[in-house]
Amino acid sequence: MNYLIHLLIYFDIYVIVALSLNLIVGYCGMLSLAHAAFYAVGGYAYALLALKLGCGFLPAIGIAAVICALLSLAVSLPAWRLKGDFFVLASLAVQALIFSLIYNWSDANAALGTWQNLTNGPFGIPGIPKAEIAGLRFARPTSFIWLATALAVACAFIVWRLKKSPWGRVLVSMREDELAARSLGKNTRLLKVQAIAIASGLVAFAGALYAAHVSYLDPSSASLDESILMLSMVIVGGVGNFRGPIIGALVLIALPELLRFAHLPDAIAANLRLGIYGLLLVLMMHFRPQGLAGEYRLS
Amino acid sequence: MQKDATSKLTPFVQILLNGLISGSAIALVAVAFQMVYLPTRVFFIGLAGIYSLTPYLLLFAAKAGAPLAVGIPLALAASVFVALACEWLNHARLARKGASDGAHLISSLGIYIVLVQLIAIFWGNDTKSLHIGLDSTVHFSGSVLTGSQLLMACVAAALLLGVLAILRASSIGLRLRALADNPTQFALFGFDVDAHRLIAFAFAGAFAAASSLLTAYDLGFDPYTGLHAVLLAVVAVIIGGRHSFAGPAIGGLLLGLVRAQVVWHLSARWQEAVTSGVLALFLLLRPHGLFGKKTRIEATA
Repeated sequence: MNYLIHLLIYFDIYVIVALSLNLIVGYCGMLSLAHAAFYAVGGYAYALLALKLGCGFLPAIGIAAVICALLSLAVSLPAWRLKGDFFVLASLAVQALIFSLIYNWSDANAALGTWQNLTNGPFGIPGIPKAEIAGLRFARPTSFIWLATALAVACAFIVWRLKKSPWGRVLVSMREDELAARSLGKNTRLLKVQAIAIASGLVAFAGALYAAHVSYLDPSSASLDESILMLSMVIVGGVGNFRGPIIGALVLIALPELLRFAHLPDAIAANLRLGIYGLLLVLMMHFRPQGLAGEYRLS
Repeated sequence: MQKDATSKLTPFVQILLNGLISGSAIALVAVAFQMVYLPTRVFFIGLAGIYSLTPYLLLFAAKAGAPLAVGIPLALAASVFVALACEWLNHARLARKGASDGAHLISSLGIYIVLVQLIAIFWGNDTKSLHIGLDSTVHFSGSVLTGSQLLMACVAAALLLGVLAILRASSIGLRLRALADNPTQFALFGFDVDAHRLIAFAFAGAFAAASSLLTAYDLGFDPYTGLHAVLLAVVAVIIGGRHSFAGPAIGGLLLGLVRAQVVWHLSARWQEAVTSGVLALFLLLRPHGLFGKKTRIEATA
């Protein structure tokens, strides 16, 4: 039972990730590899705020979301001038930069959480406090799942409202033809900045949930592998609509668990899982470029 | 006085030489990447998988008892074969369907992931080395170079000058440049686009494999070296200019010099941060690179 609850918590976290990444990939039409970096920044922000300043869960994830939204300018400003492959590259540079900051912002002689040793480098942050809202502690997985599900539903609601709003329709028109949208007087630069900031703010929630659930965070959550996993979710599930990313998150969370029952040797299980993600990406591009349930083909 | 000046100069020359040599390894991969990118517009991340694979192939051949003189050509040939397979099984088919640049990029990323995970499954994740014991050293006007660094410098210089000469002077070079310029018109003149794309992929595979073997001989290798090498190469392409074949080579050398300076002045652990910073600066301020033509964003996308 506990195993199933852990899986559901991960599913909640990755639903937030996939839905927020869908805002960038599916509605702006840009592939971003920097999403894991914002996810990790959200997690680290929550961890440090809760550990060092004793912030409650809600204020801490609020501040984490604001930090990520501000940092997302590093991705959205290049998006003013870059499209296609070269935007992917710029987002990869942001990912590498943030990963390298998290990995290197450490000093063995200073205490964790000071300016000299903000992230504790490769050793990560242990003992992150469990989530606490108004005196209620979500310490056990059975209670934490309610918080995770509530947050996932809230994020899904935000994305759904945005999609239905006039703002969401302008976003789609920009994806289809940016020049036409601009000629109709729409400020597409501001639109990209807003969409990427909202997506990065939302993924900060997912990062904070992960940090509060596992109680330990290290730089690997900002790694390129993590970004590739997130991108695979939206590409396998499909982008441009609401159910695609959710199906993608479900498939990519469930697949490795099914492999677990195949009794593979432990040494190769992790590699085999990643290899299958890679193979899925290739096959998807050949046979179903819009993903399992998507409605937009990547350009 | 004289001695003081030399002792101040020596680390400078040493850092310069180290930078140029590591830069030449980047330049080789950058030219390999550009050989595919310019004629076919495929963002060939799968190259990183080939780069990772080559030293393992040599190790495999060596363990099977083949001498280096047989093992190296075999490893190079197998790498070229994998590059051709990437085009033949994946990119050519996608291109025939009129797939988007994004589809090529994602499938190429998928190929990279599959290759690297296969390597990890067959040979493990740990760092391996191609030679045992200390390298021989060569003293060069007060600086010290290892034998493998010298080998790297000579082979890289020969290959880079060779391929630039081929591109400039031979008819196959002219045809590849024509394909890069305008694939549709190239086809209309009756040239075989598919065959020329295969040639471009073969060149890329050979260059990446050569750079990979040289670096592996110097520093050792693990399954994840490839992506790092290709990312550096793409940064070199952006620095040098994405519309020229010579630009990436010069961009690679410059990037090597900058990274060597970072090691000297800051610390090796900030190399990646500075590299990303350089990339961001170029993308924002000079997206066409040092030697590229300036084009409108709508025309390049």
